[in-house]
Amino acid sequence: MLLNLNMKKILFVLFSITFGTGVYAQGPPIFTETPILLGLDGGGIRTFGRFIVKENATVYVQPVGIPYNLGSKTQIGIIGRFININPNQIQSVSGFGDLTVFAKQQLYQKDGKGKTFRIIVKLNQVFPTGKTSNTPSIGSGSWQSQLSLITGYVTLKYGIYGQVGYNVTSNDLTDNLIYNFAFVYPLLPQKYPPNQINLNIGFNGNYKTTIKGNSLFLSSGVQWIVSKTTLFETGMQFPLIEEVTDARKTKYTFTLGTRILIF
Amino acid sequence: MKNTVNIKTGIIGLFFVVAFLMIPNSSNAQATETAETVFIKVEVDGLSCPFCAYGLEKKIKKIETAKDIKIELEEGELTFNVKNSHQPTKDELTSIVKDAGFTPKEIHFSKIAFKEKTND
Repeated sequence: MLLNLNMKKILFVLFSITFGTGVYAQGPPIFTETPILLGLDGGGIRTFGRFIVKENATVYVQPVGIPYNLGSKTQIGIIGRFININPNQIQSVSGFGDLTVFAKQQLYQKDGKGKTFRIIVKLNQVFPTGKTSNTPSIGSGSWQSQLSLITGYVTLKYGIYGQVGYNVTSNDLTDNLIYNFAFVYPLLPQKYPPNQINLNIGFNGNYKTTIKGNSLFLSSGVQWIVSKTTLFETGMQFPLIEEVTDARKTKYTFTLGTRILIF
Repeated sequence: MKNTVNIKTGIIGLFFVVAFLMIPNSSNAQATETAETVFIKVEVDGLSCPFCAYGLEKKIKKIETAKDIKIELEEGELTFNVKNSHQPTKDELTSIVKDAGFTPKEIHFSKIAFKEKTND
């Protein structure tokens, strides 16, 4: 009985991870999607290591996202994840998590001198390929389909990004509404080739519609763009609202990653 | 004696004639090369992020003989030059910029290089 309860708790952790990793959030900002499908925003392979420190476990996630542009307005991609779960009082487990494929399509673009406003739609499909036979399980065991609208107003002096989406799940996992917002501020004068440091700050929300529980995180981070094809980034998230039991509460997350343009 | 002076004078004179004929040849070559070059400036809207401008640079590099490619983000300008024989049309440049994900505005062709912006 106690083992089943713990398994469910860990599954819930994993469920949160699946949509908390945001590996598909390419380009600045760090924890939110961008509507720009160009350069490191669009064609860069992205990977990072993320520690999610919870009351009942510490989880390490290493996703790798590979996008590919079909023109400048359409993008497809795939994301794989390596996960290590280290729960309190239970032996840790590791393995590859659920596989995700995604597609993005630009709906609207309005450019000005040194600025742009864009809207895209994104379809995300999670396949339950991760193992669920372990305790705790690496995979969510659920098919998950997410449709979201992503918008952004980006100038040479700052960027404002927003995302709202809905995720439909299977296998008794709760559907959820996601809502994200980010503000990006470059510290150095913009030039090309780039050498830039971006400050990121934002909010990441997740409202679980079936169980009516809300989570809202404050996110902040720094990006260092070192060349035309490479950037490094780091950031942290802290919970502002987390309507879950005490055992499942998050203390914080820490992320360290890179994006490299190869296409 | 007189013949010797005449011969020396002739040799020295011939030297100067040859030297005079050689000097304009190098500047002529440079002038010829410049005359074969077209300088192009494209005003581009949407250049809001430095690393997404890389895609535009890659597309311009595919134009044969394109070189000295520069992107000025603050000015919203792309400049480069090509040989006369490979000058792209305005329609071709418009298509290239759009394919790169930006909005082309004015396109200018010139026989002399466009002045670079200097930082005061």
